[in-house]
Amino acid sequence: MRALRIGFLLGFRQIQRANFWTTALIIFVMMLTFLNLIAVSGILVGLIAGSERAVQDQSIGDIIITALDDEEKILQTETIRRTLDTIPEVASYSIRYTQSVQVTANYKTRRDFGIEPNTIGARALGIDPVAENTVTALADNLVEGEYFNPNESGYILIGALNLDRYTAGFADITGSLENVFPGDSVRVTVNGASQEFTVKGIINAKAGDVASFVYLPEKELRRLSDSSSRDANGIVIRLADKTPATGIAVKAILVGQGLDEFGIIRTFQEALPKFITDIKQTFSILGTLIGAIGIIVASITIFIIIFINAISRRQQIGILKGIGIDRKVIEVAYVLQSAFYALVGSLLGILITYGFLVGYFDANPIDFPFSDGILVAEPIGTLYRFIILMIITLFAGFIPAWIIVRQNTLNSILGRK
Amino acid sequence: MTDIITATNIHRKFGTGALEAHILKGIDVTVKEGEFVAIMGKSGAGKSTLMYQLSVLDEPTEGTIIVNGIDVVPLNEHESTTFRLNTLGYVFQNYALVPDLSAEENVMLPLLMRGYVWAEAKAMARAAIDGVGLEGKYANLPAELSGGEQQRVSIARAVAGKPKILFADEPTANLDTVSGTQVIALIADLNRNDGQTVVMVTHEREYALGCDRIIHMEDGLVTSIEQLK
Repeated sequence: MRALRIGFLLGFRQIQRANFWTTALIIFVMMLTFLNLIAVSGILVGLIAGSERAVQDQSIGDIIITALDDEEKILQTETIRRTLDTIPEVASYSIRYTQSVQVTANYKTRRDFGIEPNTIGARALGIDPVAENTVTALADNLVEGEYFNPNESGYILIGALNLDRYTAGFADITGSLENVFPGDSVRVTVNGASQEFTVKGIINAKAGDVASFVYLPEKELRRLSDSSSRDANGIVIRLADKTPATGIAVKAILVGQGLDEFGIIRTFQEALPKFITDIKQTFSILGTLIGAIGIIVASITIFIIIFINAISRRQQIGILKGIGIDRKVIEVAYVLQSAFYALVGSLLGILITYGFLVGYFDANPIDFPFSDGILVAEPIGTLYRFIILMIITLFAGFIPAWIIVRQNTLNSILGRK
Repeated sequence: MTDIITATNIHRKFGTGALEAHILKGIDVTVKEGEFVAIMGKSGAGKSTLMYQLSVLDEPTEGTIIVNGIDVVPLNEHESTTFRLNTLGYVFQNYALVPDLSAEENVMLPLLMRGYVWAEAKAMARAAIDGVGLEGKYANLPAELSGGEQQRVSIARAVAGKPKILFADEPTANLDTVSGTQVIALIADLNRNDGQTVVMVTHEREYALGCDRIIHMEDGLVTSIEQLK
């Protein structure tokens, strides 16, 4: 305890009297190390988290109901709709109808039947434009043209992945419509029945299938496919509170009311494909490995700093031992210094991470090709990394001090080797 | 007066084989309690090496050293550090103050290590600093003091805990004549007024003339002992 107290005095005074800019530089290096530790894995995980968030916000909502395995459609859709209206946690929902369709663009101008028709097979999503926009903000994904107006007919929205100008160079996408722009007419064919629609807008998004559908008002799709059934293919639910706990609670309510007999009810987390969860874990491990390299670099930095500091004060250390100061005191002094650098550097790193970076990347996601990456910095993960950095730094500070302090006292005093 | 240091047949060798240097070649020395002893000799005579043996900073290759009734040769590192802390005081030729600590904190350091609480150590340190004539310079850093003042702080640090023996290794080597004279006078006063046992290495005879005894060395051997008082 005495050694600790006196070691703190020595260490504190060394920090206090040290050159300000040298101290600032060391702290800056430690701060960058900590940020590297948080940011690398955070952005790697954030790549997937950003994608997940986009899928939740723009595609499958907080809870999704789909048809039972042995059914084509959700049974008793109207019953489900009425139940959803009674649950206060449900903020909105969108009922979707899907249908395979054929879309043809050049049917008016194609005179030579030897030329390939400008036709694609696509999946059409029949929606209530207002409800769908409330749940998934579909209109926000318009890159050309306009969104549906309520109760209008004869219009179609086309996902960008169905158009050649958005898919050029994508080897995995075969067949796309050429030179189709808002205002052009296309013909949609379902089971031999066709109808002409005017392209009202082009939808593009990185989330899920959003950019691969063509969108029609649900009444028109059902009319075109000659379906009198009101049973839908999917119901996407948006909750007032998007936390996983609320999702689980609302799912329990729906299951409790027996709705799982009509369709499969899944929270957003349950509906996520397993490969996304696997990629997320893989990126987290990768981030940790890269962060570990950062920790090694930081520990070597601290080791060198403390070693140079201690070796340049070797004679002073010898004299301190000579006048009876225990070696533990001197070791504590140097360990305190390294702890100080790591602590202040980490705290600054935490401040920048949570005070700026997380908010900044939330508002301005990184534009990766397949997702808008955010910075994921879970407080518990940050705490673990902080603890690891502190422990390793303490060792990195202790070892050089131990090496110098254990040298022969008189040799240190006289500067002998 | 009783013997406070008894060194018998002290040998100190460095290196091995052809590179072996035999610095002390069988020295017998005694120092009495309250005595002021100077060790003199030319450069390379072995005077500092002898002092390092007597002050438990080094271990002889052969021989026994009894300091304050304790055989110090077999002590391990921790034991010898504790022994030095509680029994001995040191004044080095380069002052050897911790540059980051104030004058007061430099003096307090060994006192705190000996278990004195902060206030107690502070009061003792201030008394010691006053005693060397540096009243009011408690908060000064070593860099803010002259060489003579730093050496006086070093003396204050050495004697604040009232050691049994004060060792001074060429304490005037880096000082001008005026400061050197003041430092020697201070050490002599400690011996005369407080009965402090002092062993001092010096190569300047005028500084040794105030001692009780001068041990003359040459080539690793004591050549003569000059009794002055």
